[in-house]
Amino acid sequence: MNLSRWGSGILDRGVGPLFLVPALLLLVVLLVGPFLYMVGVSFTDLSFALPGHDGNFVGFENYRRLMREDPVFWQSFGTTLVFVSSVVSVEFGLGFALALLLFHHVQRRRFVLTLLLIPMMLAPVAVGLMWKLMLHGEFGMLTHYLRELGLLGPQTALLGNHDLVLPTVMLVDVWEWTPFVTLVFLAGLLSLPREPFEAAVMDGARPWQVFRDITVPLLRPIIALVLLLRGIDAFKEFDKVFILTGGGPGTATELISIYAWRVNFRNWDLGYGAVCAFMVYLVVLILCAVSYKAIYWTEGRAVK
Amino acid sequence: MTEHAKSRFGKVLRLGAAVGSVSLTLAYAAEAGAWSLEEAAAPYKGTTIRTIGESLPPLEAMDKLKHKFEERTGITVVIEQYEHSEAVNKVMLDLNSKRGRYDFILQPHRELGRFVANGHLAPIERFMNDPKLRDPAFKPEEVLYQGLWKEISWYEGKAYGYPFTALTMYLWYRKDLLEDPKEQAGFEAKYGYDMQVPATWGQYRDLAEWFTRPDEGFYGTAIQGKRHEALWYEWLNFLYSFGGDMMEAKSGSECGPIIVNSPEAVESLDYYKGLVAYSPSDTLNYFWDDVMVAMQQGKAFEMIMWNDATYAVEDPSQSTVSGKMGFDLIPQGKGGKVGQVEGWTYLIPAYAKNKEAAYLFIQWMMAFDQQLEQHMNGGASSRPDVYADPDVKKITYSKASMDTNAVAIAKPTIPESPELTEILVLELSNVLAGKKTSQEGLDDAAVAMNKLLGDCAPLKFPVK
Repeated sequence: MNLSRWGSGILDRGVGPLFLVPALLLLVVLLVGPFLYMVGVSFTDLSFALPGHDGNFVGFENYRRLMREDPVFWQSFGTTLVFVSSVVSVEFGLGFALALLLFHHVQRRRFVLTLLLIPMMLAPVAVGLMWKLMLHGEFGMLTHYLRELGLLGPQTALLGNHDLVLPTVMLVDVWEWTPFVTLVFLAGLLSLPREPFEAAVMDGARPWQVFRDITVPLLRPIIALVLLLRGIDAFKEFDKVFILTGGGPGTATELISIYAWRVNFRNWDLGYGAVCAFMVYLVVLILCAVSYKAIYWTEGRAVK
Repeated sequence: MTEHAKSRFGKVLRLGAAVGSVSLTLAYAAEAGAWSLEEAAAPYKGTTIRTIGESLPPLEAMDKLKHKFEERTGITVVIEQYEHSEAVNKVMLDLNSKRGRYDFILQPHRELGRFVANGHLAPIERFMNDPKLRDPAFKPEEVLYQGLWKEISWYEGKAYGYPFTALTMYLWYRKDLLEDPKEQAGFEAKYGYDMQVPATWGQYRDLAEWFTRPDEGFYGTAIQGKRHEALWYEWLNFLYSFGGDMMEAKSGSECGPIIVNSPEAVESLDYYKGLVAYSPSDTLNYFWDDVMVAMQQGKAFEMIMWNDATYAVEDPSQSTVSGKMGFDLIPQGKGGKVGQVEGWTYLIPAYAKNKEAAYLFIQWMMAFDQQLEQHMNGGASSRPDVYADPDVKKITYSKASMDTNAVAIAKPTIPESPELTEILVLELSNVLAGKKTSQEGLDDAAVAMNKLLGDCAPLKFPVK
């Protein structure tokens, strides 16, 4: 018997999927298992702090509490939505514009790209600490220059002011993640076929028309990808905000992840904490589904 | 007698005295029985005990001392040092997993209730009453500040450890500026009385206002306004001093009527919030580290600060104001002389594998010599005799520290107390940020506390 035919014979008989087992096992152990455990815990009163709360089944009590009795949760949910929609749209616009600029007008792209990528390569904690120093009300470099320029009063500090703190934190996120958006878009632009562009120019299309009718439609999957990745990431944002403000002043920057951390690791109210974490998961799931739809919808149209 | 003969005579006298005291000590040792650390530790020779605590001067001092114990006993001591919250979280996980990684732990006493209620701790009586372990020379009933010991290491009438540090807060101020004749003249002209160490909150505010000069980057004070437990700790000083409290309870392990929204409490918070105007611009993002830096860098005149941080502000290698500082009890209000205390305490987990060896080490650390050395290197001892030592008396902040120890007020240590802290931190932060008035914030806190604690903590003051 021919060896290769023997091999493909086994594959035909369905041994192939067996090779997926190790990877699937890893997924089950590391993702599916803990997730199911979390869902399980969300129906209990498990708390490391309160005696007698040893994980007794309480049904939907935690969910009821979340929906009805926890204004702080919903407030941080709202703050998170504002944070995500703002940073993702700014990063998207800015990143796309930068990518176009690099694509059309910059010759030594590699050098500029390397520079641009620095913020993205830093650990989020390092980014947080760095900006905390730069924005410090007394010793911060940025604060100093803003005051010199008359943009900031002597008694105001960006991280200590209830109205300015959220935009400031957003700005740091934009600084960190816009290069990522640029990178992805630039890769997308470079991979586009040249023919449609050449044909459009031959037909006398203006640059704006080319952009609107050819570049954007061809980039749709990339756009969906960027929105999805940044959306999920921004929704889970924790490190920077934690270091910069700890969620304060008041609840001005309390994102949902920080609230979930408080419930779980400050109060050790793990049953209720599981519900909060589950909500984060639910929103991310919805984001994923919507983006998936967006990608398929685009491809469907492209086929037409 | 010539000078020479005099000094020789003196030497002989001193020698005689020394011989006398040595023989006395020997006699005392013989009388105290055969107990010796070496013998008591013999069964545990070769074991390793592990502990965890907050990475600050007191623990660093213990780390430097431990080799003496190791040499005498053959027991190895491993000390894990972490940042405050990290040290608390790691212990929480270890205790709940019942793995017994740590043979003894160092924890802030606000955590005590939930440890005890969940059965995580071994009461210390068992070791105290064991003649094989107990050093007859160490009598905690006599040598410790009894109030502090009971507050920091006891729960529901039972001892679970000894205080590792007795952390109180007191007044820090710039003595050099207070004694500056030019400042004194200007101050008197404006306020109509002599500039002095603030004895009342009115004087405290006047000084804060007087010294606030944003153009020079100098502020009257700096408050710990970040949404962090530091905020709660700091405000407690004001709350107690204005005559308020969180609950009406006799000890930390009891709950009682909630009075956190009393008129006194509201007044204290209004006053506290008023200090933001005399603080650096981002005071609402400051916690203990930041205000300490502000003081070390010579950017503030006065503040209410922790005794275990005082070491760092008087250390010329890291502070520009060492030698220029003064320390005292916090100003007085209706509540009289008070102080806020948070101790870190030695505790032995129920799951620890080498409890006896751990007890021997703790007991050794509580002895005078070790306490003195630890205190001199930034510790905060709970032994009055340490404060009486001439070297300790020379430390500029000793008196303030000792005075505050004597008037420290108990705070809740019930299992829910960390959650009470979270509730208050949130509402205090909301008030400072201008989202709520003091009355609204404290009313909301009272309602949340009542919801958490239930019937044992009814509201005493009506909520609007």
